[in-house]
Amino acid sequence: MLPRFLLALSVLSFHPRLAFSAELRTVPQDLRYCQELAERLAAQPGGSKEPARSLGEEGLQLCNAGNVRTGVARLRRAMRVAQGR
Amino acid sequence: MTPPPHPRPQPATPRPATPPLAVPPPLSSGPRRRGQHPGPLWRLLSSTGFRFALLFAVLFLLAGLAFTGVLWWGTAGALDRQVDAAIRADAMALAERWRDAGDPAVADAINERLALDAENQTLYLLAAPSGQRLAGNLEGLPQGFAPEVQWYGMSLERDGIPGEARLFVLPLPDGSRLAVGRDVEEKLRLRELLTEGLAWSAGVALLFAFAGAALLRRALERRLAPVTATAALIAGGDLTPRVPLSGRDDEFEALGRSMNAMLDRIAHLMEGVRGVSDAIAHDLRTPIARARNRLEEALAEANDPVALQGALERGIADLDNVTRVFQAVLRIAEVEAGARRAAFAPVDLVPLLEDAAELYGATAEERGQTLTTSWPDSLPLTGDRDLLLQALANLLDNAVKFTPEGGSIGLSAALAEDAVTVRVSDQGPGLSTEDRARVGERFFRADTARATPGSGLGLSLVRAVVQLHGGTLWFEEGHGQEATRPGLAVCFRLPLA
Repeated sequence: MLPRFLLALSVLSFHPRLAFSAELRTVPQDLRYCQELAERLAAQPGGSKEPARSLGEEGLQLCNAGNVRTGVARLRRAMRVAQGR
Repeated sequence: MTPPPHPRPQPATPRPATPPLAVPPPLSSGPRRRGQHPGPLWRLLSSTGFRFALLFAVLFLLAGLAFTGVLWWGTAGALDRQVDAAIRADAMALAERWRDAGDPAVADAINERLALDAENQTLYLLAAPSGQRLAGNLEGLPQGFAPEVQWYGMSLERDGIPGEARLFVLPLPDGSRLAVGRDVEEKLRLRELLTEGLAWSAGVALLFAFAGAALLRRALERRLAPVTATAALIAGGDLTPRVPLSGRDDEFEALGRSMNAMLDRIAHLMEGVRGVSDAIAHDLRTPIARARNRLEEALAEANDPVALQGALERGIADLDNVTRVFQAVLRIAEVEAGARRAAFAPVDLVPLLEDAAELYGATAEERGQTLTTSWPDSLPLTGDRDLLLQALANLLDNAVKFTPEGGSIGLSAALAEDAVTVRVSDQGPGLSTEDRARVGERFFRADTARATPGSGLGLSLVRAVVQLHGGTLWFEEGHGQEATRPGLAVCFRLPLA
């Protein structure tokens, strides 16, 4: 009984957004941002090398298919690979 | 003057008569309202064992809390500090870049950083003085933004997904603002997991603490049960039971041993009191009966005034003897109680020895005995002059009584480094080793002394006086020449201070 009570207390205290209203918002990621990332990748010296190139193409395809978040993540990973990180 | 009555609270209702040997209530029951029966919870809470265990549990929990604090500081706290440090370093680097190359360079750096953020956790905003977004992935400055506040912890909506963000807003010299932050949702989830774990641990610890308290209480009750049972039997009037000892060398064993020693001492004292009562009854019955017979005889011879007077005088003498015995008993009690210690003063033992020798020297001379004395010029000590003289007189009286006619008596004293030693030696029948152990008891008379007049109180008084002065009394062989009369030397040692 007591552990449950303590757990409930802790959970309640760490969920202040039960009635959610964000105080901060990010700009929505869209196809234009995917294009921007693809261009940035192409400008990188390692952007045309594997596996950065494949990752970038894959990301762009995902964006075009409507999976923008996943596509952006793939393009960003391609950027990191291209920079050797 | 009668002292005022003690302000003792009176019971509201007359208390029912309690039996004289009522068994005491068990140890675990505390004060409670009359007519109220204690439940198991009340008994548990009022138990000393439970309270000890509870105290231990509270200490345990405090230690647990301290441990949790350290753990929190080292995990969740460290994560927070790391995030803050990273944000601050990033913001400072961008501010440095702004000073070098202005808004376009910072915007380019922000875009570069965002392009490399595969985990999608960074938050950036470069806002013009008008509030317009110049670069970054934040729509604008946070709600409730205040220029004087730099750090913000707030809710975040990232592509429609709720989260938590930590944000640092840095004002730039031209009035624009640079905001750098991190999405800390993952870290908050980790913190939740940690909190959940700690809450469960605290709950289990509390459970164990209560269970331990109950177990400890039972164990204490079980260990104290023999003591309680023995005390109840003693209170019931039987002084023979003793606390059974388990052989373990612990506090309860020590308590049991102390109780047994106390009970042995009480039993010994009770036996002594009984012995004294018996002795008083026995020793006083004879002189009282003798006095009664003489008075009866006097009544029968009432016609002869001379015989009547003689009988009355003898009766009075017998009753005086009885009075003397009572006085001796009372004096021994007074000495043993230590009441005379307040009258202690510096005293030289030599004049007392001289007085006693002069008094009993004459008696010895009448019996053809020789009194040999030996002592230095001065024997200074602190004590009660009258009691010391009484002790010397009792010893010399015994020596004169038990030494045969024509024998010799020795009275000597010597000064040691820190004590005075006195020795009274005779040529009487002496005392066996067993009798020497009992000779200080009131009314004790050795078999060899039955034929000699006396009450058996003389040496009791001597022992009490010596003990009152912090000294010791012992017996040695006397200087008798015959095997049947080895003699007895009574010695005592009194400290000077």
